[in-house]
Amino acid sequence: MAEHLEKADELMLKPNETRVVVETALAENTAVVVGDDAHLVHYRLSDGANNALTVKLGKNASYDLVTVHLGSGKLSVYADLAGEGCFCRSDAVYALNGDERAEIKTDFRHNADKTTSRQLVKGAVGGRAKAVFDGGILIPYNKKAIDGAQQHRALLLSKTAEVKAVPKLEIYADDVKCAHGSAIGTLNKDQLFYLQTRGIDEAQARRILTAAFLNEVLDTMRIPELRDEWGRLIGLKNDD
Amino acid sequence: MSAWLEITDLHANVGDKPILKGLSLSINAGEVHVIMGPNGSGKSTLSNVLCGDPRYEVTAGAVAFKGRDLLTMNVEERARAGIFLAFQNPIEIPGVSMSTFMKYALNAKRKAAGLKEYDAVSFMKHIKIRAQALEITDEMLKRPVNVGFSGGEKKRLETFQMAVLEPDFCILDEMDSGLDVDAVKVAGNGVKIMRSPERSFLVISHNIGFLHEQIRPDYVHILVNGRVVENGGAELLDEVRANGFARFQKGTAA
Repeated sequence: MAEHLEKADELMLKPNETRVVVETALAENTAVVVGDDAHLVHYRLSDGANNALTVKLGKNASYDLVTVHLGSGKLSVYADLAGEGCFCRSDAVYALNGDERAEIKTDFRHNADKTTSRQLVKGAVGGRAKAVFDGGILIPYNKKAIDGAQQHRALLLSKTAEVKAVPKLEIYADDVKCAHGSAIGTLNKDQLFYLQTRGIDEAQARRILTAAFLNEVLDTMRIPELRDEWGRLIGLKNDD
Repeated sequence: MSAWLEITDLHANVGDKPILKGLSLSINAGEVHVIMGPNGSGKSTLSNVLCGDPRYEVTAGAVAFKGRDLLTMNVEERARAGIFLAFQNPIEIPGVSMSTFMKYALNAKRKAAGLKEYDAVSFMKHIKIRAQALEITDEMLKRPVNVGFSGGEKKRLETFQMAVLEPDFCILDEMDSGLDVDAVKVAGNGVKIMRSPERSFLVISHNIGFLHEQIRPDYVHILVNGRVVENGGAELLDEVRANGFARFQKGTAA
């Protein structure tokens, strides 16, 4: 069962606890602690909020975060992978239009052995809006069996939209797997043409392709009704 | 409604390079036409220009389709008017399933024709019958459009789209290329099922066996250097098989 919270400033999971938490309004600061062998699934919808999230993970703990970011605002996720064998995922979608400005910042610290992190961030930016993705992974000296991955992909829906990506990888250990990538582009013309040759008008073809691009992130959500509802909100955003 | 396509003195460029240089061709309802020609003669350009591909610029000439000026219509208007291109290299659309894609396309067409959009039940009925006839499984309909399919499956899915959308004029651009013998037969079967007195075909292919046995054209046209240089019946296929395009290329600048 999912719990709905609003503006939580603290979220503490005791060892062995499992929770699914949905937040649709965010506080300025949120502190999350996931105890040893505890598991937290955390879905957040931010409509123009500013929020700094700090997460601390215990031994063999897992944290699974999906954030949908609509409109202006600054969101940051600082994760301390403190317990051996813990897993931290932070996926996000952002959708901006008009004159909106957004910043997505992540800072993941692999402070224990056998820790794994995953980040998939995808955005669609229209109008004169501007987004900055600032993604960080730190792997300190002597840490062993670390596995980190960070992917950022953005679609520019207008000529005046802007996206800046600043990946920061600091790797001081040897026993490490760490993949990262960032790509910023426009809708694929061949795909648009293909859809249009089947009678779909250009505006709708653009909507279909944009949603398909962003849905890769939402598809991992375990609450289908929420996934569909948030997918619809993103679609409305990209429509303007 | 009767299909009627009249192409008159069509010139088209890619960038600054002229590809079609005065092509004329007329096709009546229910007819099956084949276009053959050496590589680079403009066969694929013709099919893309008829669909309104923005990469090509029409510099002169006219195309009338069912009495309408095709060249003033955009890509989706042409599709809704009944023109369908089965792509030589179908495009992958990750994140969109074939059944969702067809639902958008079919409803766009129905809406443009002033018909009510299909609800989920009538839509499923419409596609299930056609999927079964073309050996398309439910799993193939659920997967993203053209992602991870073999060449043969992609061509079969193009035929499926054609069956779902029921166009009046079907352009098949090298539908048989890269397929094994069995897959060519399935592709050919799709065309046989779709043939009707109200529907016309323009088939581009190099495979004379496929054309003879599966397509059985009413007319064959030879395209050289951007123009139709010879019109005939199925007997032209045998001449091309025996002698290639040499006779048709004489007297045309390369």
